Amino acid sequence: MMQTQDFNRASLLRGLGVAPSDAMLSRTMGEMITTLCKVACPRTIWRIYPINRDRGLCLGDVPLLGRDIALHLTGCTEAAVLAVTLSSSVDTIIRRFQATDMTKALFLDAIAAEACEHLCHDVEKQVRARTAKVYMTARFSAGYGDFPLSTQAGLLRLLDAQRKIGLTVTQNQLLLPMKSVTAIIGLSNTPVQDARKYVCGVNCIGCPRYDTCRSRISR
Amino acid sequence: MTFQSLLSEEFILLDGGMGTMLGLSSGEVPEALCLSEPERVAAVHRAYIEAGSQIVFACTFGANRLKLEGTPLDAVSCVKAAIQLAKSVSDGRALVGLDVGPTGQLLQPAGTLTFEAAYEAYREVMIAAEEAGADLIAIETMSDLLETKAAVLAAKENTKLPVLCTMTFMENGRTFTGCPISAAALTLEGLGVDAIGINCSLGPKEVLPLMEMLSRWTTLPLIAKPNAGLPDPVTGDYHVSPEDFAEVLSEYAALGVQIMGGCCGTTPEYIRALKNALTDRKRSRIPRELPRAVCSGTRTVLLDMPRVIGERINPTGKKRMKEALLSGDMDYLRGEAIAQTESGADILDVNVGTPGIVESEVLPKAVQAIIEVTDLPLQLDSSDPAALEAALRIYPGKPIINSVCGKEASMSAILPLVRHYGAAIVGLTLDEDGIPQTADARFEIGKRILERAISLGIPKDHVYLDCLTLTASTGSDAADTTITALRRVREELGLETVLGVSNISFGLPNRPLINRSFLAMALTSGLTLPILNPMASDMMDTVRAYRMLAGYDENCAEYIAAYQDAVQMAEPVKKSSQTLAYAVAHGLRQEAAEYTRAALQDSVNPLSIVNEMLIPALDQVGEGYEKGKLFLPQLLQAATAAQSAFSVLKENMTVAETGGEKGKIILATVQGDVHDIGKNIVKLLLENYGFTVIDLGRDVPPQTIVDAAVSHQVSLVGLSALMTTTVGAMEETIALLRAQYPSCKTVVGGAVLTADYAEKIGADCYAKDAKSTVDFARIVYGEA
Repeated sequence: MMQTQDFNRASLLRGLGVAPSDAMLSRTMGEMITTLCKVACPRTIWRIYPINRDRGLCLGDVPLLGRDIALHLTGCTEAAVLAVTLSSSVDTIIRRFQATDMTKALFLDAIAAEACEHLCHDVEKQVRARTAKVYMTARFSAGYGDFPLSTQAGLLRLLDAQRKIGLTVTQNQLLLPMKSVTAIIGLSNTPVQDARKYVCGVNCIGCPRYDTCRSRISR
Repeated sequence: MTFQSLLSEEFILLDGGMGTMLGLSSGEVPEALCLSEPERVAAVHRAYIEAGSQIVFACTFGANRLKLEGTPLDAVSCVKAAIQLAKSVSDGRALVGLDVGPTGQLLQPAGTLTFEAAYEAYREVMIAAEEAGADLIAIETMSDLLETKAAVLAAKENTKLPVLCTMTFMENGRTFTGCPISAAALTLEGLGVDAIGINCSLGPKEVLPLMEMLSRWTTLPLIAKPNAGLPDPVTGDYHVSPEDFAEVLSEYAALGVQIMGGCCGTTPEYIRALKNALTDRKRSRIPRELPRAVCSGTRTVLLDMPRVIGERINPTGKKRMKEALLSGDMDYLRGEAIAQTESGADILDVNVGTPGIVESEVLPKAVQAIIEVTDLPLQLDSSDPAALEAALRIYPGKPIINSVCGKEASMSAILPLVRHYGAAIVGLTLDEDGIPQTADARFEIGKRILERAISLGIPKDHVYLDCLTLTASTGSDAADTTITALRRVREELGLETVLGVSNISFGLPNRPLINRSFLAMALTSGLTLPILNPMASDMMDTVRAYRMLAGYDENCAEYIAAYQDAVQMAEPVKKSSQTLAYAVAHGLRQEAAEYTRAALQDSVNPLSIVNEMLIPALDQVGEGYEKGKLFLPQLLQAATAAQSAFSVLKENMTVAETGGEKGKIILATVQGDVHDIGKNIVKLLLENYGFTVIDLGRDVPPQTIVDAAVSHQVSLVGLSALMTTTVGAMEETIALLRAQYPSCKTVVGGAVLTADYAEKIGADCYAKDAKSTVDFARIVYGEA
């Protein structure tokens, strides 16, 4: 169950450009937080897999392609794969509000994103409690940088996520229910990298590949 | 040995986990093994049969073309090999079932998979399995009721095999897609499965209360196939021992469960232990009386007290609804569905019959649009059997069909559909000779419809009768005839009774008074399903008061909940807001509507309301947004307030009076993409500025967009895509539009798009936000 006190109304409002002093929108945000907590049926699943580098980077039989994920998992010997979803009831309620009150739909959309973040955070804590490794990377998801979105299906298969938490992926790699996240967390006994800082074409300063990268941007 | 003959035994033992036993190494697809290493699968079957399994499931759980996409495997070949293999191992010692699991994709409207595609994927493997000698079809681990229905219909319509069906529930008694146990049971029993149950989900202890609930909702043989406990979060292993598993599961006998086995984590040891534990057990055979109910895929409505059927989704006498249906504006229907749901309706009637549309195409579309926004069960209202069947197929749940009548042609066309799809049916007490003038004659027609339904195998309590309301002004006994017939139906036949109430007052002054008085009379005489406008608060008041007074409302809880705030609500809303422009700019919806009404009453020209009040207010907000003073929430708030003002204008004016059409624009979220909040925001703003938006929805194929652009002769198409993987569909759509309708402009938007990319894929305009789409539309249509 999600709790209303888990959400910071003011920061959600600020995230959408609204001053928390706006009484009407602030009240609406409060209502929508309550609504989301009522309808969400959050489910999570995670598992730790050894990282296999024999024939390219792999978790189980799922190849992890691209330079960004390779950089992110540098030095890691294991990785946790996680999947979280708020359930299709949240998609339904957002759709319902789109037909009656778009502001509320927009707010719910933002609250749901935040709720997914909370779920991921909870899973991270569980992983930390159960792993013997010293260092954990930040979460890295398919679609970040050059890590192909098509990895999504493989990760769900690894976790048996459809059966275990009702999370599916379409042929176009869309997660359904929509308010869902999958991610990989590298586990290591040596200090870890954070490739999200250098995601290709977004931020190149400090990237370990700075000198050689062909898609480097200068800002 | 057949499944039917096995049913004479006290218990029937299934097998346990297949994946658990195969010891799959990473990347191995179980379905492939029947072709590549049949002995591994054969060994599992053999072990289960030796442990006592009387039915084994072939290794075909994921053998459907949707699940196997991307592998070199062909579902039909896998199924044939798997069934033949299991048959040869069992050699008559056990029955062989085709194991059927989910497609792995969500069906529309939650997902992108169509009902037909799911049906086809199941159909081909089921036919193959029957040809290969399967003894039964076991549909299991299902979560989505509509997908389950696709599988059951594929089995029933294409094979003669018995169908066992089990779904997976969480501890709260719902599946992942929100389907409650009651709705699963009502729907599946209606579709004619041979046994029903719960598999996977949880361990035997956790499934027990769920099974208890299921046992109260079905008369079919029950199946239990739980996991070996709850999985360890790190390893995924299960920890309940075979003995503990068997001991708990054997207690299911007290619930009448006849068919048992195991799912994830169970092995032949579990089946052997179960066989031992059941040796001296007898299963309970307490006759079960089922609650009367109808359901959607996510909600069951018990018919244990008068329930309101909302009548608003019906074009008869409603200009705005007719327009919406003719232009395919499903948002209007959605709005009506939500409003009725919020007003307290229990069931919604859906009628789309109007000249100029093809009902068999529009009714299923309307149903799909409505079930996106409400979980109320639906009453499918049509006299066209093709339209009814199209809607029945894609409806997840047990709907009501409105209606059949005593005419031979009607009964022979409609009742078989009722039977096949497990629906409830409203029988109108009229026949070839019209509506009888006496209560007795109407009762007799009702009885005839009931008898005919029963003779076709339709359960008696699926038949509801409508004794028909005639206008009171036509004769002094009009109301009494209806009421008398209704009372006889309720008392003598014990059926649910349906009545459209408001017809009674037609042509008379002060209709609301007559309507609510007649409603009270009818309720007292045994009306259980009034069809009425739930937004007419005096009608809902009467229903709530009746429920309370007649003792259906324990502790008056619902009555109090509905009215305790009534005093507060009566306070006037007017505060500091002085003008319509102010109300719009500040997002005050109610006020915006009120000021618009007031302006109309003061005979302000509608065109000047739009041009001098609404548009300037929107422009002011738009300007604030562009300057970064206001943000999307405020913009949307204002747009929603303006929308409520526009809808007041639309109710009272023709399009021409409000300034005519600025132009038609097509909007769509491209094929493969289901994220449509952005597109809907754009739609809201465009409509505010007077454009007519033809919203094709989400996941729209390129050709559909082009065809719509051509047929509506639009000058602008707006496309939205959120994912990098679906931008390709956007490019394809633009190319197709260029080829087939080159004069049309395109505007594109979405999270992953950039101006460069938009140019690369040939779009005429990249809209960074909703406001810039409006700006471009104004340019295209020569306004700015």
